[in-house]
Amino acid sequence: MLRKQIDTLDNSAQAKGRVAVLNTSEKRSDQWSLLLISVGEKRDRLAFAQLFKHFAPLIKSFAQASRHEGWFPGLSDDLVQEVMIKVWQKAAGYNPEKASATTWIYTVARNCRIDMLRRKSNTQHLPLENEDFWHEPDEDTPVSLLRQKRSEDRVQDSLSQLPKEQDEILRKVYLEGKSHAEASSELGLPLGTVKSRVRLALQKMQILVSPEYQDELSHE
Amino acid sequence: MSNQLSFHPDNAMLVEFSAGTLETALSICVSAHLHFCSQCRSELMQLDHIGSQLMSAAEPAEVDDSLFDDVMAKIDSVEAAPAAAPSKSKGTDMPFTVNKLIKEAEQMPIWKRLSGSVDVARLKTGQEKFEVALHRICAGGKTPKHDHSGVEYTVVLKGSLSDERSVYKEGDFLVRQPGDVHQPMGGQNGDCICLSALAAPIKLTNPLGFLMKPWLRINPM
Repeated sequence: MLRKQIDTLDNSAQAKGRVAVLNTSEKRSDQWSLLLISVGEKRDRLAFAQLFKHFAPLIKSFAQASRHEGWFPGLSDDLVQEVMIKVWQKAAGYNPEKASATTWIYTVARNCRIDMLRRKSNTQHLPLENEDFWHEPDEDTPVSLLRQKRSEDRVQDSLSQLPKEQDEILRKVYLEGKSHAEASSELGLPLGTVKSRVRLALQKMQILVSPEYQDELSHE
Repeated sequence: MSNQLSFHPDNAMLVEFSAGTLETALSICVSAHLHFCSQCRSELMQLDHIGSQLMSAAEPAEVDDSLFDDVMAKIDSVEAAPAAAPSKSKGTDMPFTVNKLIKEAEQMPIWKRLSGSVDVARLKTGQEKFEVALHRICAGGKTPKHDHSGVEYTVVLKGSLSDERSVYKEGDFLVRQPGDVHQPMGGQNGDCICLSALAAPIKLTNPLGFLMKPWLRINPM
């Protein structure tokens, strides 16, 4: 019955979602982030159901894209479950100043996918969960929300305009879960070519590059 | 925590870290560096947008309605149980992953003397591709001049270290290739602690499959 309520809410919500604009008071106001905040603050089940309706099919698609060794299609529903349960449990810790709900949920999905793989394939006990690697110091420098949002927009805009050969490698790395070395052997390209295509893509998206690479890039 | 560092993991490593495809041992090193480096943390956040964008622009997959009910049922059964306290480490300058590895080791890592001025403690990380260890170099202490049998990644966790090329401070991320001979020295201002991951050399076995050569950590020259 919850789902019926959602369906009626859905049309208006969907319309708003795409055009969400950041207001000047630097509050994240896109639909998914507001819903996630509501889940975190009020244990709002209706908001959670809306998030589920939108994100579960995307997480499943992300799961199905995996070409990790040891991954099989039957794990896709398991991943959706695991991720959405984590979203419910961790929503209180969501900080809209650091990431949009979409990016936050992506990081949960990425971490869960790796943890599931490790649990399936490892005989040895790894004393770390994947989210531990992203643990940030408490006294983190606040990042300007506006700067963050701009970077998100820039990535979104330029990603769709990348040359096919750059897009192909980013998809292999982020969606299929291949290392640069694996991508290079699959595509029959030298590792250096794979790395430089990735670098060119990052340059187009204006993602900050380490100083030692700025030199290198300026010579290419 | 936000001091400017000079030595960072390269872009390819950060991309793989962001995509979750980086080897576990190297992820431990990158995450230790991130603890100290706000510049890489900010770069990583931007890299995460790539994954996020690729995920959300993909063709949504068909999800069976029953899955939502399953999730809600699981949530209800978990909610009934008392919540576990969040594990946050406070009041320490060590990166979270390193602390957790030390704390959750079945037994505390044991410091072993490697030379007059260097102690080493191996960390259990559940993988065998790299040897992950902490090194403690006493103030002003010289390490034995050594070559590397495999690539070695080092993150300075405390104090400083120097070699013929430079001085490395807390958070600096170093990569040494095989054949790269160097002799780092501990800084004068106290003990230096480093985290390192050394690519395990290929195990040589005889035709009967017995291990012939033990892994060498350091070849004194």
